[in-house]
Amino acid sequence: MTISSFQTLEAAISDEHFPEVDLALRRGRHIGRDDGAVYDYLVDVLDYLEPFYRRFGCELVQRADGYFYLLPSGDRLGRRQLTAGEMLVGQTLALMYLDPANLQHGGMVERETLLQRLSGLLGTETLVRTLNPRRRKFDERIAAETVRTKVAEALRRLTDLGFIDLIDDAMLRLRPALMRFAEPVRDLSDRQTALERLVQSGEISLGDANEQDENEGRDADGAEDDEEEADE
Amino acid sequence: MPSDPGRLIAALARDQISLDLKTLDLCFLAGLYLRADRASLASFEEDVLIDLFEQVCDVVDPGVERPRKRATHAIQRLRDQRMLARVDGAGIVRSGEYTLTRLAAAVVNSFLDDEVLTRESLTLLTGQLRVQLAEILAAAKRADSADAWREHVVAPLRITVGDLVGGIERRQRGLDTQQEEVQAEIAKLLQADWFGAVERCQSLLDMTTNTLRELNEILLRDTHHFVTLLQEIQTLACDAEQTGSEETVQRVIEHVDRIAVWGGARQRAWSDYYQYVHRYLRDVVRLDPDRALSQRLRDQVASWPSVPFHLSVAAAPSIRLLRPLESRVEHPAVMRPRTDREGSPDPVDPEDTVLNIETLVQGALAAGAQSLAEVTEWVLPQFPADLRYVVIGRVAEVLAGITRTRSAIERPWRSVAPCLEIEDWELLMGDARR
Repeated sequence: MTISSFQTLEAAISDEHFPEVDLALRRGRHIGRDDGAVYDYLVDVLDYLEPFYRRFGCELVQRADGYFYLLPSGDRLGRRQLTAGEMLVGQTLALMYLDPANLQHGGMVERETLLQRLSGLLGTETLVRTLNPRRRKFDERIAAETVRTKVAEALRRLTDLGFIDLIDDAMLRLRPALMRFAEPVRDLSDRQTALERLVQSGEISLGDANEQDENEGRDADGAEDDEEEADE
Repeated sequence: MPSDPGRLIAALARDQISLDLKTLDLCFLAGLYLRADRASLASFEEDVLIDLFEQVCDVVDPGVERPRKRATHAIQRLRDQRMLARVDGAGIVRSGEYTLTRLAAAVVNSFLDDEVLTRESLTLLTGQLRVQLAEILAAAKRADSADAWREHVVAPLRITVGDLVGGIERRQRGLDTQQEEVQAEIAKLLQADWFGAVERCQSLLDMTTNTLRELNEILLRDTHHFVTLLQEIQTLACDAEQTGSEETVQRVIEHVDRIAVWGGARQRAWSDYYQYVHRYLRDVVRLDPDRALSQRLRDQVASWPSVPFHLSVAAAPSIRLLRPLESRVEHPAVMRPRTDREGSPDPVDPEDTVLNIETLVQGALAAGAQSLAEVTEWVLPQFPADLRYVVIGRVAEVLAGITRTRSAIERPWRSVAPCLEIEDWELLMGDARR
């Protein structure tokens, strides 16, 4: 056990930071060094909170990259899988995090650069089809609008989860938690093996299981309706 | 120059001030500036200008045709934009003599100037500033007239101290530019050499961090001392009722404060950047010396649509606060208190002023009134003073309707009541309209 400034669990959860940290972790937020005092608090109370959260059927995970998150393994605490949009945007942002070109501005990148990178990595058609699996025909203008809407929605959710900070409408800051998206390729083992290991630990789920995709991004419905009309 | 920014901007817009400098123009200006600096020239003869332009052309655009003609156009273009000024005043009598304007010098300076704030330059500047301020404080203690304040306090504050503080600020901007270059260089080094660049990046980071820390320490210590001296001068100015001097000191204090704030702000901003890059070097570069992770991640993204996987995150819903259960909710009917809304109307005086006026005018005519003034004089006493002005107009209107009138080109003014005069009409008796 590392030296903590708290003597008991009771003292740890009586601290003023606990409610904020607890709520954030339960809502899926990744708390990193950029969060300042709450991160320091978590480092300090880790030995007490790890067994505390285990009783709720979840793991308080600390990564060497400098962030914490809560990983539910049972049914006691709610959990969800990230959507296709969030996964694609998150992996692309992780790639941008690794790019030394973005160091010049301390990890600040433009939203437009993200869209260009996404489109360059996947190709426009694959990107559109992945983000709109139910659509068969695409009008170019509406497809582009839908992609922008889905990406904006994904960015908003990734911000809530602590993967990035949205600075304004055009700029965002990358946070170390993005490295979670690179976990399957982090070590030199076979990717399939790495995925299986992550599935076993409950970090990821395989397949196109995200039914919530269908319900997500209701704000994109307008664009989809237009698309339906275009189809007809 | 107007001090109000709004007026200044409006004046610039009104005069349609603009600058349009091509690379060749800038190179020409820079050549002139350096020539003047090295040869201590105050002005250039026309031939020298043209020769220099040709030399610049040889470097910038070697194949250019008719360089002398282009030189003539370039000189005219720069004169139009107030970059070059003719100083001989000889007109067409002989070829001109030209000098670079302050604007041209400033433009060239911004490209050539590599003055950067260093520990040495800052110590030197702050030392001089401290000496100057001490002298000004002594002069302020001796000053016994408005002229003395102006000559020995305000003028040195504006010129000497202003220049020294401006010098520090200029070098601060130079250091800002240098920091940006360091940031760009770190990114470039890592892109080019990845793991091999770690040590060099770390030393660049540390060097800038040390420079900023040293500068900030000097700024914090010395600006505090400057402000103390300036406040003493300000107190003396206040006691001597020298409002102008007081305001000048206040402006210098604000300037010095700005310099101090710069130090703190840059150190904070650099600290964020330092931490980010330091973490990057430790967690990304050192752990992936072959830079293989980026490529593997790129492949993962490209193949994700065919082999999708999804990260799991906690998603506990917010706590629901339930309302107390009520089997049946009685919504009270919307009502308002009953009142008798059919009240009796309030009696008011009839509005028959116009009718009264017509009757009164006819009465005046029957009594033998011969002119508009006589009729008006007859009618006005029947009305309260506050209505009389309006009634005068109505009387004229009624009279014009029921009689014929005659008026001279210059109608005479007649008094009809205290403080009221009208232009008079003569009535044509026995020729009534109705």
